[in-house]
Amino acid sequence: MAAEASRWSGLRNAAILLLLWEIVGRLDLVAGGALPGLTEILHRLWIDRADYPLHIWATLYASGLGFVIGNLVGIAAGVIFALFPAALRVFRGVNIAVFALPPIAIAPILVLTLSGMAPRVTLAAMGVYFVTMTATVIGITQADSRARDLIRAYGGGRWDVLRLVQLRGAVPAILAGLRVAAPNAVLGAILAEFGGGGRWGLGTYLLGSLGRGEPDRLWGIGLVATVIAGLSYAGFALLSRRMLGASRAVTLNAAVPEAAPAKLSPVPRLLLGLAAIAMPFLLWWGFIRLTGVPDLISKTPWGVIDYLFLGRSAESAQARLLAALAETLPITFVGMLAGLGFAFLLAISSRLFPRAIAAFMPVALITQTMPLVALTPLLVLILGRGTTLTLWVTISVTFFPAFVTLAQGLALVPRSAEELPRAYGASRWTEIRMVTIPASLPYLFAATRLTVPRALLGVMIAEWLATGKGLGNLLNQSRGFLDYGMIWSVAAVSVALSVLFYQIVVVIERRVLRRVGMSSAE
Amino acid sequence: MQVPDGIALDGVGKTFAGRGKVVEALRDVTLSCPSGSFTAIIGPSGCGKSTVMRIALGLESADAGQVRIAGAPPLAAARDGVTGVAFQDAALLPWRTVRRNVEVPLEVLRQPLRANAAKVQAMIELVGLKGYENALPGELSGGMRQRVAIARALVTHPKVLFMDEPFGALDQILRRQMNLELQRIWAETGSTAFLVTHGIDEAVFLADRVVVMHANPGRIVEVIDIPFARPRAPELFSDPAFHAVCDHIAKVLHGG
Repeated sequence: MAAEASRWSGLRNAAILLLLWEIVGRLDLVAGGALPGLTEILHRLWIDRADYPLHIWATLYASGLGFVIGNLVGIAAGVIFALFPAALRVFRGVNIAVFALPPIAIAPILVLTLSGMAPRVTLAAMGVYFVTMTATVIGITQADSRARDLIRAYGGGRWDVLRLVQLRGAVPAILAGLRVAAPNAVLGAILAEFGGGGRWGLGTYLLGSLGRGEPDRLWGIGLVATVIAGLSYAGFALLSRRMLGASRAVTLNAAVPEAAPAKLSPVPRLLLGLAAIAMPFLLWWGFIRLTGVPDLISKTPWGVIDYLFLGRSAESAQARLLAALAETLPITFVGMLAGLGFAFLLAISSRLFPRAIAAFMPVALITQTMPLVALTPLLVLILGRGTTLTLWVTISVTFFPAFVTLAQGLALVPRSAEELPRAYGASRWTEIRMVTIPASLPYLFAATRLTVPRALLGVMIAEWLATGKGLGNLLNQSRGFLDYGMIWSVAAVSVALSVLFYQIVVVIERRVLRRVGMSSAE
Repeated sequence: MQVPDGIALDGVGKTFAGRGKVVEALRDVTLSCPSGSFTAIIGPSGCGKSTVMRIALGLESADAGQVRIAGAPPLAAARDGVTGVAFQDAALLPWRTVRRNVEVPLEVLRQPLRANAAKVQAMIELVGLKGYENALPGELSGGMRQRVAIARALVTHPKVLFMDEPFGALDQILRRQMNLELQRIWAETGSTAFLVTHGIDEAVFLADRVVVMHANPGRIVEVIDIPFARPRAPELFSDPAFHAVCDHIAKVLHGG
């Protein structure tokens, strides 16, 4: 009954929202008609219907192929990492870089070095790889340790454990990963379309229509992109729900998890650490050698150092890069802090106003399946091309994932822990101060780790597409000027910065959580 | 080794290195369980009783001493299919049906499934789960899951059967029922049984001998022979003689 009632109220809320949208749109209340009514959008969609198939096909092709490739690589890598922890250590740098890099920053590089659909497929695959790889490693290593003991007690080896317990046991985790990865692939493909070339694709279509100032068409494209991403999410959500029914562990694992493998002595540990740092550069170098693109266009790590520090134009290059950073970094931090702050306040207050937040939660969850950054052109219509735009893009791409992470984390706090203060007559506020806020700490850090790269991506997209400032703009300009050194430098610097910020958050997280005796949330 | 078919531990020692200090988990544990006997091992948490079993199963290696299962080193015995094991909590694979769960040891030991189908069916019937062959663990009650674990432990017709608190997660009433069932099953199979438990009454009811261990370092302090005739009926639980033995073991446990 309760589920039924909440479903009805959800439908009711959605209907109210759509009605409001329609009224606001029809009356041109937002920025002189930048937000058309839903029926106007659908009408335009119908008029443009002949344009769509090829654009949709191009985006679907790139994201679909990228999805398949990214998942194959991700699952294979995940299995290897789970079986050989040393490999995981060596590839740590690569994995963090893939997770943290703003896709828009490397899109121009991929366009320079690869041809045809390959850049789009690669970016889509990279968006998928990290999610699936992580899910696979977690799924395999967290397999029931008692079941593992059982196989070993009959003389079974590592392969038997993998075959009989771990692979099948990892399926729910992997499916959950695929669910998140599917919209990522669509986003990656669209970002690559923004980043360069090609005639077809929803991203190309969106960019081409931005200059013509036709809000109803832009919104139509945005709607189609959202529906594609949402459907891909829903498909895997359905699949994983089917599979989960038969796979959820039926009892709690009471066994103490195995201790981490014996501590490495300093020398091998140092070597592994160095390998982890060297690996991304090695892959960068190998990628260039493999593609065989001439040195003029493709820069090796050494080429970038030469361009930034040794070459004739080094001084001017440094100056331009630093000026761009000075524009980009402050707004990245402000946007991220604002997004995180809103998310934190809202998640905490969900304890005070559970019903209001429960009504908001579906909206927040739906945004998780939306290629939010790819919808920046729509925000340009409403907010113009100023700093406000950058800020709002950044806040919107950080707020939603942070809120979902925090809200879902807080839902895991045992009810008894929350009821204890209440049993002694504490007020709601005391309860929140004593239980909810401390308990949210691991999730706040998890949300921060998640949002650091997204914030930089949001800022760079806004700069690239609209504001004409900062790193994003520098990257876009350098494409026009055929300034290959700068393209590679901006890419390298933005990836390096993302990794650096990510690592800083990780270090602070470890320190703080260790002090308060908590462990980090996945 | 004087007991070729049973379990023989001779001067077994084990230390764990953790967080800067070394914990002596087992010191000079010597124990021999004759073929076909039922031995229960009891002690406070952290006394190393589970470690004894894990060493006997080959899941951990001993730092000192010698272990023979049916005359062979533990891992060799495991690979030959001599041992069967049931852990605390059923530890079933949730995606496999009852039958497929019971078949797991056969798969690990690379034994043909089709040729053993009758044996699997017989085990499922022995533990009273006829009709549930195709049920998933999630559809079973806690007691039924534990029966699946017992059937799985018996499916290889093991000469030596290890059980680590197999009924630890069950309530007292269900536990008594399962104790009766286990006695019946063990009597039918004639294997050497080794039971790790927390429950004094469970140990006394089931075992021929109860081994009491103390912690820091983990060691055997006394081995008590249980004199009651078999098969033992549930009335034994309220017999004064039964309580006397239980009281004695409780005293030994508490360092009396």
